[in-house]
Amino acid sequence: MSGAPRTSGPALVPGLLPHTVELGCEFGPLLLKSPLLAASGCFAYGQQFAAFTDLRALGGLSTKGISPLPRHGNPLPRICETAAGMLNSIGLENVGVEAFVRDKLPFLRDLGISVWVNFFGTDFATYIECARLLGGAPGVDVLEMNISCPNIKQGGIEFGTVPEVAHRLTRACVEVSGAPIVVKLTPNAGDIVGMADAVRQAGAMGVSLINTITGMAIDVRSRRPRIATTYGGLSGPAIKPIALRMVHQVATALPGLPICGMGGVLSGEDALEFLMAGAGCVQIGTANFAEPGAVQRITAELRALMAELGLRRVADAVASLRPWPLEAAYQTPAAGEFST
Amino acid sequence: MTAAQFEARVAANTRLGGGYFSLELEAEEPTPVAAARPGQFVMLRGAWGRELLNPRAFSVLHAEGKRLTILAKAYGQGTRRMWALRPGEPMTVTGPLGVGFPDPDPEITDLLVAGGVGLPPLHMQARVAAAAGLAGKQELFYGGRDREDLVLLADFERWGVAATLATEDGSVGVRGYVTTALAPRLEQARAAGERVRVLSCGPTPMLVAVRQIGLAHEVQTLLCLEENMACGFGVCLGCAVPVHGVKPYRYCCTDGPVFDARELRWP
Ligand SMILES: Cc1cc2nc3c(=O)[nH]c(=O)nc-3n(C[C@H](O)[C@H](O)[C@H](O)COP(=O)(O)O)c2cc1C
Ligand code: FES
Repeated sequence: MSGAPRTSGPALVPGLLPHTVELGCEFGPLLLKSPLLAASGCFAYGQQFAAFTDLRALGGLSTKGISPLPRHGNPLPRICETAAGMLNSIGLENVGVEAFVRDKLPFLRDLGISVWVNFFGTDFATYIECARLLGGAPGVDVLEMNISCPNIKQGGIEFGTVPEVAHRLTRACVEVSGAPIVVKLTPNAGDIVGMADAVRQAGAMGVSLINTITGMAIDVRSRRPRIATTYGGLSGPAIKPIALRMVHQVATALPGLPICGMGGVLSGEDALEFLMAGAGCVQIGTANFAEPGAVQRITAELRALMAELGLRRVADAVASLRPWPLEAAYQTPAAGEFST
Repeated sequence: MTAAQFEARVAANTRLGGGYFSLELEAEEPTPVAAARPGQFVMLRGAWGRELLNPRAFSVLHAEGKRLTILAKAYGQGTRRMWALRPGEPMTVTGPLGVGFPDPDPEITDLLVAGGVGLPPLHMQARVAAAAGLAGKQELFYGGRDREDLVLLADFERWGVAATLATEDGSVGVRGYVTTALAPRLEQARAAGERVRVLSCGPTPMLVAVRQIGLAHEVQTLLCLEENMACGFGVCLGCAVPVHGVKPYRYCCTDGPVFDARELRWP
């Protein structure tokens, strides 16, 4: 690191003791015990993890996406592994609002962690219905509105990719929801900043990004796509650089908008990258499948790394990226200026 | 027994020919997998870095105290790495998972139909039965491509479990599929008024055939399935199995991997 350029930014106090690091942090109006949450679709409704990990050690969790009516999901195969990641096309299978509120929510409410209920509809009416029913349910801290819907066929794509449509949809849901709404954006949108701005102006408390990236894999022996719907959502470390870039773009363009970053977080260092890029909190998805205690381990790693780097509070890390220096010496000479 | 995730080390990695290997793992302490029933499975993952993310599911072949053994065939990226593991190397284990086969029953003969790497649950069923003095109520029907595809046969011999073998190249046993031997056996049982049930595990085309034969003979047929699994404990919803009933799918990892043939929405 000796040759690394130094510019502005808080002076580092390396070598704090881990217990002096405060992970409790603000995210918009919320107070989180830790900036690390479990991501939607990768933690079901939480119960299965109780056997493996201390759920109270989480900053929070986002539930499997809920729709007004139960959904059975897509045909199989639904998942396949790819290099440093996986494809899925679960088809947003879920128990539906009624069963969720009755059977799943009480367990989550009693954990004392931030409960984010991920939801979606298939059209304006069902989105609004969901926002009304879930946004008023006791124990729901955030409604995370999934406008990505990669696995829904009709029209779903517009919600996540056309800023004007996303704006109208968000506004309509914000109006009926008793809980703050964080809109989960899809990386498949052309203009991620435009999308984030559109939902911010519609009253979203913050944005979550990114959802999975549409991808494909082929079994050459059977000549079939590896998942039944041909295309699926790519998650895991393979998407992390894209996710970081998008978080950074939105954070830079829209300072002050709370961002929940995610995509391929497997370690405390990954999480810290997201914080530095501008995320106020971070979700962990695919990592939970191989390791049901992933969030707890990553939290311990983040704490230790922050201590090592002299970062006392989460806010010291958030959007703390340093620019490369612009001194002439570091610039590429203009053509013709440099000759041998 | 509730499942746990724990660290273990390779105690022995024995190559059995034909790409098959049995991998014995040892944990620091006695593990919950020791309580595994035939058909239950574990998720295993080595120190694979970021490239291979998800663990792999394996039926438990044998487990006792701190040790557990699985049978695998070097085939994909994960199993090829496991094939090369040496004693002392680490593995993360999650289990025991899923719902296994019913206990051996002194009144019923279990016809164990195994294909290739589908042997472990049936191997364990036979061992459990033999330990309970019920070896005579177990019969193995074991099929593979060739001689090398049939492993661990000596165990069945030692337990006194009768075995009917079939290979596609005819190098051992009858030539052809193991399922050809099943129908005559079921007819014989029907004629003799003998109570039998079919327990099977192996490649899906074989299970489809076993299911059709079992249903045609109106015999209870329990199939141990293999599906793509990312988690193994009911959260990713990737391992859906099509079933008849109010819901179109159940889950291989939590509702199975053992399913009744009648329940499956299969050809
Ligand atoms: C199997 C699976 C199911 C998912 N289901 C949902 C969902 O219901 N709603 C949603 O907003 N995101 C869903 N996601 C996306 C994740 O929440 C997350 O945005 C994405 O996987 C990137 O994070 P990761 O790389 O840490 O997994 C799902 C992801 C996976 C792998
Ligand atoms: S493997 Fe994840 S739900 Fe079955």
